[in-house]
Amino acid sequence: MIRDFNYLRASTVKEALDLLEQHKDDYKIICGGQSLLILMRQGLVAPEYLIDIKNIKGLNTINFDRKNGLRIGATTTHRAVEKSPLIKKHYSVLLDMEENLASIQTRNWGTVGGNLAHGDPAGDPGPVFIALNAAVKMANKERERTLPLEEFFIDYFETALEEGELLLEVQMPIPPPKTATVYEKFNIIKNELGIVSVAASITLDENGLSCKDARVVLGAAAPTPKRAKKAEQMLVGQTLDEKLLDKVSEKASQEADPIADIHATEAYRRSMVKALAGKMVKKAWEQAKTSA
Amino acid sequence: MKKKYTVIDTPVHNIDGIAKVTGRAKYTFDVTLPNMLHGKILRSPHPHAKILNIDTSKAEALNGVKAVVTGKDTLGVKQGIWRRYKELCDEEILARSKVRYIGEPVAAVAAVDEDTAEEALDLIEVEYELLQGVFEPLEAIKEGAPQLHEHAERNINVTRHIEWGDVEKGFKKADYVREDWFRCSSQAHVCMETHGAVASFIPEGKLTVWTSTQSHYYIQVLLAGVLDLKENDIRVISRYTGGGFGSKFELDSAQFCSSLLSMKLCKPVKIILTREEEFMATKRRTPMFYYVRAGVKKDGTFLAKEARVFTEGGAYTAMGATALYLTGFFQTFPYVWPSYRYDGYRVYTNTAPTSAMRGFGAPQATFTAETQIDLIADELGIDPIEIRRKNGMYPGYEVPGQAYIQSCGLSQCLDKIEDWVKSRGKLPPNRGIGIAAYGFMSGGIFNWFDTPYAFSSALVQVNIDGKVDLYIGSQDMGQGSNTTMAMICAEELGVHVEDIRLHMGDTDKCPVDLGAWGSRETLMQGNAVKRAAAEAKRQIMEFAVAKMAPNIVYDLDIKDRWVHLIARPERGLSYYDVVKEAIRGKDGQPIIARGHYTPHRKGMISPAYSFGVQAVEAEVEPETGKITLKHCATAHDCGQVINPLGVKGQLEGAIAMAAGYGFTEDLPMDEGKILNPNLVDYKLLRATEMPETEVVEVETYEPEGPFGAKEAGEGLTNPTAGALSNAVYHATGVSIKDLPITPEKVLEALREKNEKKEK
Repeated sequence: MIRDFNYLRASTVKEALDLLEQHKDDYKIICGGQSLLILMRQGLVAPEYLIDIKNIKGLNTINFDRKNGLRIGATTTHRAVEKSPLIKKHYSVLLDMEENLASIQTRNWGTVGGNLAHGDPAGDPGPVFIALNAAVKMANKERERTLPLEEFFIDYFETALEEGELLLEVQMPIPPPKTATVYEKFNIIKNELGIVSVAASITLDENGLSCKDARVVLGAAAPTPKRAKKAEQMLVGQTLDEKLLDKVSEKASQEADPIADIHATEAYRRSMVKALAGKMVKKAWEQAKTSA
Repeated sequence: MKKKYTVIDTPVHNIDGIAKVTGRAKYTFDVTLPNMLHGKILRSPHPHAKILNIDTSKAEALNGVKAVVTGKDTLGVKQGIWRRYKELCDEEILARSKVRYIGEPVAAVAAVDEDTAEEALDLIEVEYELLQGVFEPLEAIKEGAPQLHEHAERNINVTRHIEWGDVEKGFKKADYVREDWFRCSSQAHVCMETHGAVASFIPEGKLTVWTSTQSHYYIQVLLAGVLDLKENDIRVISRYTGGGFGSKFELDSAQFCSSLLSMKLCKPVKIILTREEEFMATKRRTPMFYYVRAGVKKDGTFLAKEARVFTEGGAYTAMGATALYLTGFFQTFPYVWPSYRYDGYRVYTNTAPTSAMRGFGAPQATFTAETQIDLIADELGIDPIEIRRKNGMYPGYEVPGQAYIQSCGLSQCLDKIEDWVKSRGKLPPNRGIGIAAYGFMSGGIFNWFDTPYAFSSALVQVNIDGKVDLYIGSQDMGQGSNTTMAMICAEELGVHVEDIRLHMGDTDKCPVDLGAWGSRETLMQGNAVKRAAAEAKRQIMEFAVAKMAPNIVYDLDIKDRWVHLIARPERGLSYYDVVKEAIRGKDGQPIIARGHYTPHRKGMISPAYSFGVQAVEAEVEPETGKITLKHCATAHDCGQVINPLGVKGQLEGAIAMAAGYGFTEDLPMDEGKILNPNLVDYKLLRATEMPETEVVEVETYEPEGPFGAKEAGEGLTNPTAGALSNAVYHATGVSIKDLPITPEKVLEALREKNEKKEK
């Protein structure tokens, strides 16, 4: 049973921030409700106030320009990301990600901001956005701030969002030349949450031979989406070969900090990180070679 | 070939289809009555505890609460569906003194709305004395284990023994003997419609219950038993049922608690279980620990088999006794084993009761037997199809002391599947095809329920305009039996499906049928319908003969609304005209006819058996152990097909369910608590996981079935887990004997295999 609550709707960011301030101790922000309503039905969350931000104008946006890169407003639905020609053209990894994210019904309602703010380490956008070097913009009544996304996730279902603070947008810079980002999740039933997932972003030098920069981000393999930084370092300055990939996979699986649950043991999750990490690095590398 | 039939063997869309897809079909969930209250059930959070006291005063004081009932408000009847055996009637539904599983009902509330009722649950104070629980059958059967029921020492609930031939001699003669242990997991039915009931008791002493069930007759009788009412003072209405799969023919907590509350208040009370309650406390597939030993000759001839099974019973008997027997019986299917010994033990545990689920013990038997047969064939270097062909059952075979097989299309099925396997050509790496052969019953002969009625009855009334009212007691729960019955009636009577108006799902209106379980409807209700229609036709033709006055040597028939001489079909009369005159001739009485069916002298199990062979092609990813289903071909001998669309629907549904059983679905527990009681964590297959499926046609005729038909329901669920396990074996060389076959188990087995190789 969902406990009774007061429903408040904001139509501007300012209105929303006022409401958050006013009901500081006992509110939940709702937009698509795809994560929150499940928790409320299970009685895990029972807020006094539900503050709906779905109608705020200006947060449901996808913008791209050559200078600032990509900006996705917090209330943008997954489906809008999936259907955006801009994203298809410049960030095709996000399209791949969205097509495998839950069901169409969920993507129609669920939002990018809601997904991040939920703080589920098995969420898909987290690892991919981090691989794309994303930052998040947040605001409270007093100020705005921007934080690299990898610092936004703190623990299981815990983020850097403070009381009274609203997530406004996700920002992704223009990727450097010769860069490609890929993502895959491992699951049994297509489109369900990943048992583990790996996003990899590879930037090659101008000749397309050696690795200039790398990001390997693990999903559902730690309390938060997690960069396998040692594995990343092993790649920098190297050229691609199978032995290197094996070592990187091994290192990434060591860096993982997974839990055991009914879907997989800890050891199996590590094995899956190992199976995916090298595969993703290789795939990104091959794509980076041919990218502009 | 000229078609023998005008209605059957033609694809007919479900006659309830339009009502369902347009939302017009009213399910129990949709029933709303004036002054209706809403009920909720308080369930035990403990797997094993004594109830010391229940204080309902605070709940009763809550604004909007109308009544609270506990075990004290019941007659304390220990009920069960095995009514012929008192010791197997062990479930009170509302526990009076002791709870034995997490989710067992201890109280129920009726209030003005659902939220108030749920709020009231929190205000009921139950004082428990916690007892030590026991959760695994192999633990529970040990001496000194906590005992659930006073009457059941070492928690042994039921034992079953089946034996024929000289097993010891058979093993002595064998060139090759192999033994294996298997673990068969549990599975939830996951009906789209959860259990629910609306009960309305009126002061005149009559109770009406709208409910989602597989057998309105059983619910009527079982309710009468626990409420001390006459059966026919209770009316059970189940017009539409949103899935059953074995979970809905026993009395459930929604039906019992809503009736109790309504009787207390003389107001309608509605209780619909939540999905979580559905997972926790509405029974489930029986987990089994299976030991199988088989002895064969070098050439693959089967000689002797021994099986021992320990099943996790959960807290109560439910339909578990049947599952225990059937798994032992179907362990030998569909083969000739000259000697066989089976010992089954159903053990009480402090877990949700296990009971009937599509296949009823046979999927477990088929998984274990078929997996082992492939291992034997491999060891002896014999082709999997060949070893099955060599030992297969055949028409006229008698399972010693158990069953007589009339029609049996197994060899045809094997031939066709062999062709299909060949047509797949050479497979890419990491792929394998596994086959499994199986059989199932077309309705059970056993009468543990102790009904004094015929197993199936039907009533046909032909009206002045030729339209036909067909009254049946069978229950359509999505499997399409309404359509099947309308087709059988239309074929026999010589009219069209549109001419049939069906009356079902109401004990006040319908003759008794035992309900939709054990794949019984096509054969049993089908026979009753066919007999009733034949009798109506006979009455119509009396008048036609008088009117047409043919030479006495001619026979008449009706087909396609045309009453005619069989030998000279052009000589005839319109069915409509004949009916009109016939009724006029009967002093204005419509034509009424009855038919019924009860199997007699057909062995102990079933009047007829389906047979089949299924091939599953699967791919296994060596890095992850992930299994992908690619193709699935099934040759199913269901005798004469009544509705090809119905068979296809049953097959596709069965594959989704049985493949889920094979590799994704499970109910993991911690100290009796189910850890995934929701549709996020319980892994059902979706359309994206379904392989391409194919029905391979076989032609047989079953003398006992209507028009030669047998079952095409549960049997189709039997082969898939075994075929899948064999596919994985042929793709990778590892055999997983522990369901479900998860990627993790496959990967671990592959790792062990590689380690062995390196040594």
